[in-house]
Formats: sequence, structure tokens, C-alpha cells
Amino acid sequence: MHAHQNYNLLLVVLSYVIAVLGSFTALQLAVGIPNAQTSRQRWMSVLAAGAVMGVGAIWAMHFIAMLACDTGMAVTYNLPRTALSALIAFGACSLGLAVAGSAIFSWSKLVVAGVCMGLGVAGMHYLGMAAMMMGADLSYDVSLVAVSVVIAIVASIAALWLAFNLRGPLQMLGSALVMGVAVCGMHYTGMAAVIFEDNGGQVPANFASGLRGNNLGMSIFVVAVAMLLIVLAVNYLRQQRRSQLSI
Amino acid sequence: MIELEIQILSDRREGLLVELGRTVVANGFTLLRQRLAQDDRGAWLTMIVRGPPERQLALEEELATHSRVRSFECSLFEGGAAPPPASGPAVARAPIAAAPATFAAPASSVPPAGPDVRQVESMLPQIAKDYPRITPWLLTLQRTVAAESREASLLLVGRRTGAWVFKRDYAMGAKLGLADAIKRIGVPALRALATIEQHGEQLHIQNSPLCSPNGHSGCKFFSGYLEGLLGASIEPQNVFVRSLYCRSTGAVECILEISH
Repeated sequence: MHAHQNYNLLLVVLSYVIAVLGSFTALQLAVGIPNAQTSRQRWMSVLAAGAVMGVGAIWAMHFIAMLACDTGMAVTYNLPRTALSALIAFGACSLGLAVAGSAIFSWSKLVVAGVCMGLGVAGMHYLGMAAMMMGADLSYDVSLVAVSVVIAIVASIAALWLAFNLRGPLQMLGSALVMGVAVCGMHYTGMAAVIFEDNGGQVPANFASGLRGNNLGMSIFVVAVAMLLIVLAVNYLRQQRRSQLSI
Repeated sequence: MIELEIQILSDRREGLLVELGRTVVANGFTLLRQRLAQDDRGAWLTMIVRGPPERQLALEEELATHSRVRSFECSLFEGGAAPPPASGPAVARAPIAAAPATFAAPASSVPPAGPDVRQVESMLPQIAKDYPRITPWLLTLQRTVAAESREASLLLVGRRTGAWVFKRDYAMGAKLGLADAIKRIGVPALRALATIEQHGEQLHIQNSPLCSPNGHSGCKFFSGYLEGLLGASIEPQNVFVRSLYCRSTGAVECILEISH
């Protein structure tokens, strides 16, 4: 028997807000990559932006969205797979941002970077789904899976174009809103592709030791607060720098 | 053609002549003679170069801001004597436009088109403070500097202002191609100062407040402004702005052409 998915609308909205906040923070850091004076500065910017995008925007959004989804069954998450999903998002986003932020802006680089980011979003999602432990077997509608990956890639390309090619308010806010669409669009299309088949309550042996919703909620809260602090710190430092610039 | 004597102090001598020689050649100058010496402060490179006077300022800017250059001096080279010994006063590394000050001091060696660096430097803080409402300051500068320094002074203040605006408002993001840089950076930045229209790589400035009929501007401020603004935002960094038409010479509107 298929388990139905019911969503808590408030948490769905919150998942988008977190995706946008994470993307905004990450792109604030990422647009500094082309201005790095040394390779060390450059890699620090790439890794910081990749970490915030991968863990802050994508991973945190995914698990808020999972908390929003009620299948009527108890769910826990396999810790190593959950950690690996965050690592994949971090690696793919770092790679994508490093490519997008190098030398002169070009469409070929944008596409490569968008594919990296999009696959990072999708990879994180489907590994995160594989980390779910519950009394059901998961299967997928392959065509919807493909659509979810395409959404992630196309929206990532659009977000990176806005972030690196434009200047001004649209650059930061517009790109963050579009990246939020990339992450959430991919996620909820991916969720539409999944079928939870009730297996009669047979849960994996390590079900009891898995991460539970309340643990995830606390982790996500910490991530969100960290992102807000980074945004404030980056803005403060940039304001300071602007005021100290001599003509 | 003018001949310049350029003296440079660098941390190390390896590849110095090659790197700076490229900059000299890229600015349309020919390297006539050079001398490289080492002392306890570093490597001293003295070059005698010959080239077009209108490229002097651009060459000085590039050399003064080159990553290998610690200190920099430039003066008109008079006579065909051999280059002097490679030692001299170590001046602090000049910011972009301060370099010409070293040769602007003695009246006899002031090049005809050299900027009035003292006037420009004293006005720049006011321009930063009042930006973008800077027209009165620029008109004052036009009036107060000597006629032979007017264009170079306006060009200099334009470059400094453009580079400052870039760092302040447009530095975040990828390096762009020239067309994108004009569209995303040049046009919005210049709109803060004047009413403009973009036509490809030409910018049309309508009713330029600096270029009144029978005036003396020659669009030099706006040319320098765009060079400073766009030079930092694109790769490679050489941007040239040419005034095709100017209201001050009877045209209906000012037209600037931007190229690499």
C-alpha cells in the first residue's frame, strides 16, 4: 500500500526561506572570489561559500522540508549517509562556485558551474532520501526524477548568472531567490517522484539509533543562526571597507 | 614623441625587465636603453623609453600600480646621455595618479599635457564626499588649473573617481567582457552623473554639464571616469575611451567610444 505525503505548509514556506537565506549568504561570499588577491584567499572564499550553499541552503532546506512531510510513519535518518549527503552538497557547490568565479565570466563556465551545483543539489537530495529509515520501501518515478535534476541545473545556472554577471540589488537578492527556487523546486519535484510502499512495519536494524526529527531541528536551527551571523558579519565588513576606501 | 626616464625599485630582479618591458610596449612606447642594478634595498631598473605623449599618463599608471613595482619615478629624459647610475631616492610606491607629481614639480620639466596633481589631489576628497553631485567641483577644477594642464587634470580626476566608484559599488562579481562591463557597470555608473544613452560600445552624453559650448572640457573627465571604472572590471585591463564628438566643440551631444 502506498503511503500518502501530507505537508505542513508553514514548514514548506520555512524551507524556502532557509534556502533563500542560505543562498544569499553563500552568494555574498562567492562574489568575493574573483577579487581574491592570493590563492589562499581564493580557496577560503570558495570553501566558505561552498559550505554555506551546500550545508546552509541545500542540506538545511532538505531536512526542514522532510520535517514538513508527514507519511504517517516514524522516520529516522542514517547518520553516515546524512553526513555524506551534506558533504556531497558542499563539494559540488564549492566546485561550481570556484568555476563560476574564476577569471572572465563566460557561458561555458556558467553551464559547467550550474551543472555542478545542480547535481550537488540533486545528489544531496537523493542520498538524503536514501538515509531515511522507516517501515516502507522507496521507489521512484524516473521521469520526475529527471525533471527534478533539470530544474536544479537550469535554476542554478540562472542564479549564478544573476550573481556573477549583474551588479546592484538584483544581483544578490534576485540570485538568492532564484537559487531558492532551484533547491526547493528540485526537492519537491523529487518528493513527487518518490513512492513510499508500506512494507508492513519492517524497519532497518539500526532504526532506533538513527537521527530523529528533534535532533535535525536543532541542527538546522544552529545552521540558520550561523548563516544569519555570517550575513551580518559580511555586510558589516563590507560597510567598513567601503567607508575606508580612499579615492 | 617624447622620451621618458623611468626608475623603478623592485623586490627582485628576476624577470623584472621582461615584465615591465611588456607594459612599456603595450602602451606604445619603445625601450631605448635600460640598466638593471642591485643594492641592499632591491633591484633598480632604469629605462629610457620613447613614445606618444598622449600615452604617457597611461604608462605611468600601469607602471605605478604594477605588482612588481615598489617605488617609481618618471621624468622627461633630456639629452642623449647614458642612463644615470641606477640609484636614487626611494619614494613610497605611488598610488595610481601620484606618480606624475615627481616630475610636475620643476616648472621647466612640466610636460605640456601634464596634470596639476596638487589641485587634483586636494579636490578628490571633496569629490568623494559629495559624489555623485560633483559637477561644481569639476567646473571649479576646469577654471582653476592652467590651460595646458586642464585636459590632463580632468582625465586624472576622472580616472581616480571611476576607479574609486568601481571599488565602492561594482567590485563584487566576476570579471566581465567589455560589452557586459559597459552595460552592467559603465552605463549605470555614468547615469549617476549625466543623462546618457548606450549605442553598442559608444555612450552618448546629452547636455553634459561639463561640456558647455565653447568650453574646454573635451569630455576628458568622462573619458577618464570610464577608463578608471571599466579598467578594473574587465580582463585584460586596458580600456581606452575616445571622445568622438563633444558639445564644447559644437556637437549636439558628446559621444564617447570605448575599446580595449
